[in-house]
Order: sequence, then C-alpha cells, then structure tokens
Amino acid sequence: MAKVTSRGKARAKARGGAAPQAGPAEAAPPPAAPQPAAPQPRRGTGLPTTGGNPLREGLRVGRMPEPCTMVIIGATGDLAERKLAPALYNLMLSGALPPEFTVVGFARRDLTDEAFRELLRRGINRHSRNRPAKPSIWGSFSRGIEYQRGEFHDDDAWAALARRLARIDRDRGTAGNRLFYLAVPPALHGEIVRQLGAAGLAGSADARTDGRRGWSRVIVEKPFGSDLASARKLNREIREVFDEEQIYRIDHYLGKETVQNLSVFRFGNGLFEPIWNRRYIDSVQITVAETVGVEGRGESYDQTGALRDIVQNHALQLMAVFAMEPPIEFKASDLRDEKVKVLRAVKSMSPADVAEATVRGQYVSGWVEGDKVPAYREEPEVAPDSERETYVALRLSIESWRWAGVPFYLRTGKALGTRVTEIAVQFKQAPLALFARAGAPPMDPNILAIRVQPDEGILLRFGAKVPGPGLQIRGVNMDFRYGSSFAVDSPDAYETLLLDCMVGDASLFTRDDEVERAWEILEPILDAWASGEGGRLHLYPAGSWGPAAADELLEREGRSWRRP
Amino acid sequence: MNRTAAAKRALAVHRRLMRFGEAESIVAEPWVERGTTVRAIEAYLARLWQDQPADDDATVTETGRHHARASVLNLIVTVPDEAAAERVVETMVGLGQRHPSRAIVLAADPQAGGLPLSASITAHCHPGPEDGERVCFEVVVLTVRGEAAEHLAGIVAPLLIHDLPTHVWWPGDPPFADPIFDQLVEMGDRLIIDSSDFGDLLRGARRLANLRRRSGVGDLAWRRMGWWQELTAEFFDAPRFRRYLPNLNRLTIRYAVPAARSRRRGSRRRRDPADLGMEVSSPLAGPILYAGWIASRLNWRRHATRQPLKDGRLHLVLEGRYEMVDLLLEPVPSDELRPGDLVSVRLRVFGEAGAAEFIIERSGDEAVVASNCDGMTALLRRMPMEQPTESELLAADIVTDEHDRVYEASLRAAAVFLASAREMDAAG
Repeated sequence: MAKVTSRGKARAKARGGAAPQAGPAEAAPPPAAPQPAAPQPRRGTGLPTTGGNPLREGLRVGRMPEPCTMVIIGATGDLAERKLAPALYNLMLSGALPPEFTVVGFARRDLTDEAFRELLRRGINRHSRNRPAKPSIWGSFSRGIEYQRGEFHDDDAWAALARRLARIDRDRGTAGNRLFYLAVPPALHGEIVRQLGAAGLAGSADARTDGRRGWSRVIVEKPFGSDLASARKLNREIREVFDEEQIYRIDHYLGKETVQNLSVFRFGNGLFEPIWNRRYIDSVQITVAETVGVEGRGESYDQTGALRDIVQNHALQLMAVFAMEPPIEFKASDLRDEKVKVLRAVKSMSPADVAEATVRGQYVSGWVEGDKVPAYREEPEVAPDSERETYVALRLSIESWRWAGVPFYLRTGKALGTRVTEIAVQFKQAPLALFARAGAPPMDPNILAIRVQPDEGILLRFGAKVPGPGLQIRGVNMDFRYGSSFAVDSPDAYETLLLDCMVGDASLFTRDDEVERAWEILEPILDAWASGEGGRLHLYPAGSWGPAAADELLEREGRSWRRP
Repeated sequence: MNRTAAAKRALAVHRRLMRFGEAESIVAEPWVERGTTVRAIEAYLARLWQDQPADDDATVTETGRHHARASVLNLIVTVPDEAAAERVVETMVGLGQRHPSRAIVLAADPQAGGLPLSASITAHCHPGPEDGERVCFEVVVLTVRGEAAEHLAGIVAPLLIHDLPTHVWWPGDPPFADPIFDQLVEMGDRLIIDSSDFGDLLRGARRLANLRRRSGVGDLAWRRMGWWQELTAEFFDAPRFRRYLPNLNRLTIRYAVPAARSRRRGSRRRRDPADLGMEVSSPLAGPILYAGWIASRLNWRRHATRQPLKDGRLHLVLEGRYEMVDLLLEPVPSDELRPGDLVSVRLRVFGEAGAAEFIIERSGDEAVVASNCDGMTALLRRMPMEQPTESELLAADIVTDEHDRVYEASLRAAAVFLASAREMDAAG
C-alpha cells in the first residue's frame, strides 16, 4: 500500500521569497526549506526491486521483476480471458515485464499454442483498458505464450508441465522462477497444489534464499473456503506444499488505487489521522453495491450468498485497512499484522446479536437501470424456495481503544439501484448547535466519503451558509477525483497485483490468519441464520436500496444509510 | 524590425493559434475578444462552466456534475513564431485526456503595434478514464502586443487556477537572456523545454543546470531517450550481466543527423507541416544526455579529450571505476530518422574481467537487442521501435512535478563533456 508516489494536487505553493542566486553547476542542490520536526522517512523493506542496478534509478519502470514463467492453471476459463490476459498485456505495453517473461496455460481443453494465444488475444481485444492489442507488442508477447493440455488428476500431465518449464528455463532464461495462478474453483485447489508439490514444482523458501534456484509462488483466488473449517482445511492443504511466504491470496479490491490511497490519505497527511478515532467519528458505513444479479452464476451463488461472496473478503478487508493502526513499516508483514489486529478486535456475535444487528435480504423482480430483472428465485439453477441472501447489512463493533463505541455498518447486495463501493465516515456533530432554529431540521453531519468505484475519489461534505439574508445552512462538497486530478490512467487492480507478486511484495495480499479470523467473525452469523435464530429473510425489489429492515437497523440508532 | 512586418507576423501566429477552435474536443463556441482586458477574460473564465449547466437528473448524487473540471495543473506556453504556433496547437490537441486544466498560450511581441491584448478561449472536454464521465478544461490564447508584452507575468498570474502546480512550456530556443524568460519561468513550478531545439547546446545546458528553481526542468530531448534507457537498464537487471558494469570500457553512441542532400532542401521542406519536427537545431542533445546519463549513473569522470567535437563526432576518455572508458559519439546521416534519434548503442567490456558487448541497434522499425558475453552471442529480442510524438512526450512530462535528479546529474555531465570537447576545439 506504499506505492502511491504522486504528490497531492493541492500542493502549497510558497510563492514569493527571494529566488536563490544561481551558483556554480557543481554546487549542492538547493538547501531544503527549514522544516522543524520534519518527519523522518522510513525506508520500507517490503518492496524488493531489481536492486543493485544503478541504471534503474529514476526510470519509468522502477522495479522490474526477475524473468519468470507464469503458469495459469485453468487457463481456458473466464478469468484468464477477462482479467489476466488484459493485465499481462498492459504490463507488457508499459514495459513493466522482462523480455524473458513467459506464460504457460494449463487446462483440460485440447488447444494448440496458437489457439491459446488467440484466446488470450480475444480477451485483450474485448476487455483491456488499452485495446485492441498493438500488433508489435502482441507479436513479442505472444512468442512467450505456450499451452500445456492436461487433466488435473493426471500425474503425467504435471510431469509434462514440469519438463516444459525446465525447457523454458533453458530456452528463455526464466531462471527457475515460477508463478502459479490457480484460476479454478476452490474445490480443486487442494488437488492442484498437491500435484504441483509431487511434480517438484513448488520449490521451497529455503531453496529460494540461497540463490541456487528460482522462486516459486502461487496465487489463489477467492473464495478462501466456505466457512472456518473449510478455510482451515484449504490453508492446511496449500501449506503442506507451499510455505506461507509463497502463497498470495488475491483480493482484487486491495489492488485498487483508492484502497491503496487510503493508507496515504491517513498516514501521509498530518490532517486526518488525529481525527481518525472514536472521539471525532460517529460511525462508518461501508457499501459494496452491485446492480447486476447473479448472471448465470445461479448454482454457485446459491451455495454462497452475499455474506461469503463479499463480506468475508472485500468488505472486511476494506474495514481492516480503514481501521488499522499505523504499521511500523510499510511492508507486508507489518501491514498484515495491523489488519489482523482489527479483525481480532471485532466483537463476536451471539445468536441474539445476529437477530438484532444483521439483516439479510433477497431480491424479487424489479427494474434495474431500465431493465426488468427477474426475482432471484426465478434465476436459472436457483432453488425455487431458496433462502440464500443476496443482500446483507450488519453492524460490527471493533473493541479497541481507537474504535470502541463506533458502529461499523456494512452492507452489500446484488440487483441494487446503483453500482458503488465506498467507505463513508460520519463525524460527530459540533458540541453546541449555535445555528439551530426552532423547527429547522438538524444540520447535516460532516461526511468523508472514500469512493472506491466508480468515480474513484474522496469527498468531504460540510455545512455552509446559503447566500442571502438570514442564516440558512446547507451541506456542500469538496470533491477530489482521480479521473480529473492526475492526467494518468489508473492501472487495473490485476496489473498492480500480478506485478507485486512477481517482485515478491505481499502487502496487498491476504495472509492465512486474516482469512481464518474473517471466517471466525462470520461463523456465528451463518450459524444463527441457519438455525433460524438470526432473524428471517427479508425481500426487496430489484433496483431498490435493499429491504426496509436494513433502514430500520440504522434508524433505531438515530442514523440513516447514505444514498451514494 | 519594422512595425508592419511585426504586425504581420503576429497576425500569422494568431491565425495559427485559432486552430484550437477546430479541435474535436471543443464543446462551446470559441470566445474571441480583440482588445480586451484581463478582468474581462477572468470574468468569462469564471462563467464558462456555469453556462454548461449540470444535469438536473434525479440520479445525480451529491457527487454532482456530470462533467468534472480537470484539476491537474496550469500550463503556460509561449509561442515565439508561426512555426511554433502550429506545433503547439498540434501537440496540445494530441494530448487528449492528459490535458492540463488550463492552458495559457502566449503569443507576445513587444515590437508589434495594435491592440495590446486579445484573447480567444476554447472549452474542451474528453471522456474520463472510467464510466464516460467527461473531464473538461480550457485553452486561453493571448496575443499581447507592444509594451504589454514585456510585462507578461501580470497578465498571466490572475488567469491561473489557484493551488495547482504551474508548468511553463517553452518550445524552440528559449531566450535565456531575455527578462521575459525569467519572469515566466519564475511563475511556474516546472520549466519544460526541448534541448534539441537549442541554438547553442552548451550554453543552454549550462543555463539549465544553473536554474535555481523550486521545481524541476522537463526536457523533451531527454524524454526521447527514455525508451533507450529502459532497454539499456534491462541488460543489467540480470545479476550475471550486472557484474560487467564496473568494467565497461567503451560506449559508442551513433545518432542520426540530416543527410547533406536534405539539408540543402531544408527551406523547401519547411512548407510541409509534417516535416516541422525534422527541424532540429541540436541533434546532439539527446545522445549527449544519454552519455551523461550512463556516465553519471556509473560515476565516470572526464579524463581527456581524444577528438574534439567536429561535424557531430566526439571522442572523450572518461575515468571509470576500474577502467578508462572511451566515449564515442558518431553521427549517421539519414533522411528517414529524426535528427538526434539514436541509431545504435554499444557498451563494451574487454580486459581481465572478460569480454562482453551489449548492443541495441535500430533496424528499420525495430530495435535489435543483443549481447555477446565471452564468445556467447545471444540475440535477446527484437523490439518494435517506440517513437513517441511530441504530445506523448509532453503528456509524460506534465504528470510529474518533481525534480528529476537523474536528469539533472546527466545534464551536468553532458555540459562537462560538451565544454571539454569545445575547449579543445577552440584550442585546435
């Protein structure tokens, strides 16, 4: 999260002041402005670079990964086409990958190298932020793309993959560095990891450090299990073959610029961190709203639901990054230590708490963005009497000195009215209502909204006097937007995360104890819902902002949901 | 210069600059005022986006408007002559969404008579990076004539958007000795120039190295070297090659200069706008900056001049860490290449540490990247040549407002090389 280097736009411009006289060219750079108690820079050690190359300093590509091969397991699936191919292409386009970089697709389907390349190219042409693929860049990229057909249970196929990788190391100079991307359903993770180990492809952390051979890393996609027991089992299975340092659990929300900027916002500015606590903050709302329904994922979604699909990973991760203490250094282990501390401080719920502080909903037919959407239960492959939640709202308490008494409201849902992900901080009211008039509505609270998508940016809402006689106060906005403030495109989250993994920076990936702790928080909710003690399922029309019960959850406490 | 000629020239520049009104991104009729005041321009700018009302759609949330004003930086551009005017319009229209929030384009001529201040303002929008929200900005063209042209700072300052960084782009050969240059540069946080446009490269390099400024210098000639620098650095990412770095003992840089034939035809070619980019006063700028880059990164010091600068050819001896290093710059006459473009770079090691050569060579639209270490030749790859347009170079430069220490060190080294090459030249 330490990689936002651009300086803020509203840079104070100390104009005036005599310009120093020109001196000889050899003179030292101009003296720094006197700054009493200037903060000491802390050198993070968490960002390995191609250290030692003196020519790299100041270049556009500041950290070039070592040559490596990325093996996409489940390479013919949706993820490879939609996300991985465009991300790799954009990295290639920006010169961020070494020339030796090689991709090997591994899947069941019988494809030639050429057909696999075509599949990736189609993904780029359809989904890349830079498209279509430039023939020149694609030409050199595609020469490093191969395909290995194989069944996941077939030992011979994995042996063939190992031989192929050894050959690539020789021919293309990838030096034994391998990145395995598990783009397959989690049920297969255990088997695949076991096979990687059996084929001698997992390497080990020890072998990595003595420099004899390359590194080996594995990227695992969510969901990380479906409950605490299965998550533990999965972690155990992967760790039988890979060390925790080799495992990169990807949560693409953490790769988004705004989420990385959250740390810069808090810890890089002197203004905000002092008010980032229970003394000034009234409550926090985290919203992950989608307009889409289940879109053909009916069968798997009906096993999962909103709590497992979004809250367990994205929403709790956003909350952890928002609420964590300043890490000692901006490196992976410190960041993840701080995040897990937040999760550990979340108060466990009793069945009565679940009934009181959670609301689950399911959409019925309605209109979203002008289109008629069928009810969830009418979606293909969804049980007609399904009790699966497509919406969840909950109140969590973080029992720490910083956050005691500040409710964290989380909500997420499908087929809602607007697609938006944001964290909104509501500040406490001024202690004295100087401007209150009899009969006038109370003043709007101050809001700080951190918008993750779309229109990424930060908005601060405060009261201002309406021009004219009398004293009328209305909320106004100070609005920072990424799109209009930097004149550069933000990389896609997958670009950031793949590159981080290749250079060995795990800051934006989730550690095993975070995953397990997140499940521990949710387990009582899942149990209480299953037993019926946790309150009933509420219905909401597609295109609305969720069930009325969710509004009541906040109204009981004198608050209301934002309409972002 | 007589006043009529000056007036004619000013008019020609003005006409060229009116082409901002033909850009595709334009969203409102240009506002054109001859004989106006700064106050009137300010008033128009304040009104400009209010006249583009926000959509009153109920779905508009508190994030408000459907178009967002770019909030990136101010760019002050000076336009000394007609050719520059044409180039500025073309480059700035090509910036697309990477545009500054407000561009102030100055055509100032103290010699010209007529109305002291005329303005033309165009409003532009581009689709933003996500979800089609438009990002908008404006271009303010100011034609300043007569005495007012000697006091530009007072005209420009009120027109800048406050609390944004301000960059000053000075295309062409900047008048380093002119007080107006100092005035405008002092207004900005960053000066953007192209050292290959300098008439006197050494003097310009020295002057740049001595600019004591809050912020940095962006040099488009340096940006043009970026792609070659990346390829060069890439050789030494691999530890097995990096060990050669301290033992390098020859750097040969070959670069394009205009072929004699086309130089004769220069005046005729100038008519074709596409050729404007081919007019390069100091083709050596990029190559010598590249040499200065390697030398400053590897701590090479000037030792002796073997062959002074003559017809673009230069041979210096530098003192490396363990070895003496020959630095050779060799011109290659070419009709196709932009003068100053690199043709090849060769880094050589020979001696007790072993023998190796690292080569980047242009071949048509490709570059061949190869290495030859202890007799093992490896063709690393063929890369499509990256030849950024001036718009792309400028866009890359305006996203930063930091001092580029690496550039500054390279520039100082380049100035030392040029000076020693010249001194010998004068002595010989």
